[in-house]
Amino acid sequence: MKKVTLYALSTCPACKKVKKFLDGNRISYTLIEVDSLDGSEQWAATKELSRHNPQVSYPTVIIEDVVLGSDIDSLKAKLQ
Amino acid sequence: MSITADHLYEILGKYAESQGNQLNSDREFVLDIIAGLLKNEGRYGYRSCPCRLATGFKERDEDIICPCRYKDADIKEFGSCYCALYVSREWNAGIIPRMPVPERRLPRR
Repeated sequence: MKKVTLYALSTCPACKKVKKFLDGNRISYTLIEVDSLDGSEQWAATKELSRHNPQVSYPTVIIEDVVLGSDIDSLKAKLQ
Repeated sequence: MSITADHLYEILGKYAESQGNQLNSDREFVLDIIAGLLKNEGRYGYRSCPCRLATGFKERDEDIICPCRYKDADIKEFGSCYCALYVSREWNAGIIPRMPVPERRLPRR
């Protein structure tokens, strides 16, 4: 299972294209529409995005593996 | 009274031609960008690039008010601006390969 997060702008056609792709492929994801957030939330989201994409450009999709439970072998494999 | 999307489409098309460029030949795509420009004008008071996050402070966003400061360099190098609103004739004709234009603007501090 992979955790997918999409950082997007509500005004950006390229962001809509990525959303359409994810929706069309029934991929569940967390949408963070940065321009729709209030000041402090926007600051925090931008800060988090910059950890993954220093250019802070949109859209950015972050795909992270998620390990459920205490399967140490899976955990080791994902951490390699 | 605010400008309509169709009227702005017409104006931007004339502007592009005056610069030796064109609007993206995908009208629906351009209208989507125009909707973003008008949304930004409504909330910030100026038409900042819909593909970038504006601060809402005009003096800090001046370089990304459409047409942005990076448009000409992007069209010269990639055939299209960052948003793919303004493009070269060759880009529209499919002579230039279409690719995402990398962000030329330096990240904000």
